[in-house]
Parts: sequence; structure tokens; C-alpha cells
Amino acid sequence: MILPIELLIALLVWGTLVGVDLVSLPQMMIARPLVAGTVAGAILGDIPTGLKLGVVFELLQYDILPVGAVRYPEYGPATVAAVATAHASAGVLGLGLGALVGFVTGLFGGVTINLLRRVNSRIIHAAAAQLETGDPSVLVRVHVGGILRDALRAALVTVVGLTLAWLARPLLGSALTVRGAMLLAVAAVAAALAAGAAGTLRLVGRGPNLAWFAAGLGGGIAATIWLR
Amino acid sequence: MTPPSVPPTPPTPLAPARPRLARALLRLFAVQGSYNYERMLGLGVGVAEEPLLRDLGDGKYRPAVARGAHFFNAHPYLIGLAVGAAARAEYEGAAPDQVERLREALCGPLGSLGDRLVWAGGLPFLSGLALAGVALGAGWIAVGAFLVVFNIGHVALRWWALKAGWTHGRRVSVALHNPALQKAGAVLGPAMAFAVGAALPLTAAYLSGPFYSWARVALAIVAALGFLALRLRGDRLNGLRLSLGLAAVALVVGVIWQ
Repeated sequence: MILPIELLIALLVWGTLVGVDLVSLPQMMIARPLVAGTVAGAILGDIPTGLKLGVVFELLQYDILPVGAVRYPEYGPATVAAVATAHASAGVLGLGLGALVGFVTGLFGGVTINLLRRVNSRIIHAAAAQLETGDPSVLVRVHVGGILRDALRAALVTVVGLTLAWLARPLLGSALTVRGAMLLAVAAVAAALAAGAAGTLRLVGRGPNLAWFAAGLGGGIAATIWLR
Repeated sequence: MTPPSVPPTPPTPLAPARPRLARALLRLFAVQGSYNYERMLGLGVGVAEEPLLRDLGDGKYRPAVARGAHFFNAHPYLIGLAVGAAARAEYEGAAPDQVERLREALCGPLGSLGDRLVWAGGLPFLSGLALAGVALGAGWIAVGAFLVVFNIGHVALRWWALKAGWTHGRRVSVALHNPALQKAGAVLGPAMAFAVGAALPLTAAYLSGPFYSWARVALAIVAALGFLALRLRGDRLNGLRLSLGLAAVALVVGVIWQ
């Protein structure tokens, strides 16, 4: 993947914004993979690829319920990196390789989120006495510091993702036949569908909503058959 | 005859200028900016509450700001209720431990209500609709519509929460029993279940469009096995681990099976 520098910068900026949106600011859901992927695709002039990878990671997102201090992967910048990878490799090879790069980036992103929270804890613990004075400038300074660290973290995750995207094609693309590429794409899509279904069922539970889920599933299957 | 008890006269004006509420709202968008395992969202809550406390007297302002930054955790979109209610309680001259108890009492209900309304309701519902829209060919328009509709609700919920918190103060539980919230919770659960249920087969068909027929059969089998694995071993397995595991197996088989 060799992209013009302006596109790389645009992807880096977008990945950083997406990463910050997940938790820090403003949680307007540009971090959702469907949005992150579509805009990354638009930056690369390849919206269909952005949509496809966005759908894969959006399904994986259903596996995550961000309650309390739960740890989870970060799929926003991961989707940006996945789209950059897939853009360089056409068809199912792009889908499989892109998803693989996204999985690894998502894992790395999740680790950095946990690490950042630990760093924030230490900084806030160290500033506890100052915070107890009620000085608003101290409060704002510590808080804004957290946002800036998150922005740095998101940029780092995006850089790692884009580096993986750059390496994926020469390292893996040439080792895979069409059949191998197809297998990788099957694995990625199957995992996304399984995670989407299992995550949704966890939300739905065994109550009356299960009937609504079954009705939706039936309707979706009927629509799929009819459209074919 | 003993006169009827009346609330203590507020020591300071009880109507913050609209710009102060607006400033608090803007700060609420960054309420999770310093998320940490010690105070969770506490610092963000303190930062958001601070503009509302500026009319407190000199001796009260700084202790109130410090209290605002203590431990707090709840759903970020509904934290405005706690911010407004705590600020109002400070103006009404509530004792510090009363304010702390109010904050503690709000953590659980705001968390569970927000999780039910947003994380397990409105967000997956709209996301499911967007997925179905993309699969049916609506493309980026479905994504744009998702973003716009979600954020209309998002901003409205944050603003309502802040205003309701400020209006009701220590009686903020009244706001939590708002019929609109109850109705939204009752409608969004089934709507989410239906929308995502419908989106799953549509997205499966959309993603497997370029696959060979043998690959579609393999997709159905692997997805079913993966789903079972996640249902049965959800304590150890999650979507990402399953994805990485399946991708590793596919890479090895793909390299061997030339």
C-alpha cells in the first residue's frame, strides 16, 4: 500500500478523531465502524470498500457493551486501517486482509485504552491533594491532559494500523492464492456474523424481545431470498 | 402553632444564566475525557458542574467544585442529571454529605437507565437499520442518516438531563420516572431486537456477494459454529478472540492448501 502523503495524513487525522470520539469527546458515534469505515473509504475515493469493512466491524461491535469499566477492543481506528488495507487489494483478498489488519489494530487499541486509564489513575492520584482544594484551573488542567493523552493514544493506534496496512499486502498478499484469500474473507465475515448474532442475543435476553428478534430474523431472511 | 416547614432560603440566585447551562452542556460532551479507574468519570463531572457553581459564595464555591470531582460513574449521556441536581443541591445549601449521598444514589439508576436506553436500545436499533440500509443498497446515505438521527436524540437527551437535574435538584428521581423515558425504554428494546434480527441475514448476503458457492457454504457452517462457541463459552471467548483465531486458522489452511 503506497498512498500519497496527503491521504495518509487525512487517514491519520480521521483515525485520531474516531479514536477520541469513542470515549473522550464527543461520543457522537463517528467511532462506530460503519461511520469510520465509510468516511475512510470516502477519503480514499473508495466508499464501497469502506462500507464493506464498516459492516464487518459494525457487526463485531455488537459483541461489546461498554458498561462500567469493562475492557473492550477499539474498532474505530481499526476500521480505518482495515479500509486502507482493503483499498490496496481488490476483491475478497482486500476484505480478508483488511479484516485481519483491523482485528490486530482493534486488539492493540483496546490494550492502549486500558493503559491510558491506568496512567490517568496515577496522574489523578498524584494530583489528589491539589484537586481537593477545589481550584478549577487544576481540575480543568488534569481533565484536559486526559483528553490530550487520549488523542495521542488514538493517533498512535492509527499509525500502527496504517503501518500494518502497509505491510499486509507484501507480507501476506503474495503468500495467498485466490482460495486462501477466500478462506480468510470467509473467516472474517463468519466471525463478524457470529459475534453480531451472539452479542445481539445477549442484549435481547430470553424475554419477550426474543420473539421480536426472531420476527426480524425471519423478515430479513425472507427479504434476502426475495431480493435474490 | 408551629409554622409549616419551608425549604431554606437559597443563599444565592437559583437561576444560572442560560450561557452557564450551555457551557456545562458543552463540557458534558467531554465528561469521559479523563476516564480512570480511581474516580471513573468524577473529574469530568466536576469540570461540567463548575460553571453552574460560580454564583456560590467564596466559602462554598471551591469545596463544591472539589466535591463535584469525586468518584462518579454512570451513563455519559445522562450524567447531566447528576451535574444539574448536585449543583442545585449546593445552591439550596445542602450539607456536603447530603450532596455526596445524592451523587452516590444516582450512579446506579443513571447507569442502568442509560445502558438500557442507549447502549442496548437506541444505538443498536439505529445501527441495525443502517446495516440493513447499506445491505439493501442505500450506501453512505444510510450511514449519514444513522449519524444525524442518532445525534439529534443524543444532544436532546444530554440537554434534557442537565435541565431536569437543575430543575428538580435533590428530587431528581422525579425526572427518572418521566413517562417518556419509560415509554422509550419499552419501545426501543423490541425495535432493537427486530432491526438487528432483520439486518443479520441481509448483511450476510451483502458481505458474501463476491464469494464462490463453496465459500458461502463454509461461511454458513463457520458462522454457526462460531455463534455456538460464543454462546457456550462466552466467559472466555469474545468476538475479537474468535476473529483472530479463525483468521489464523484460515491463513494456515490457505497457505498449505495451494
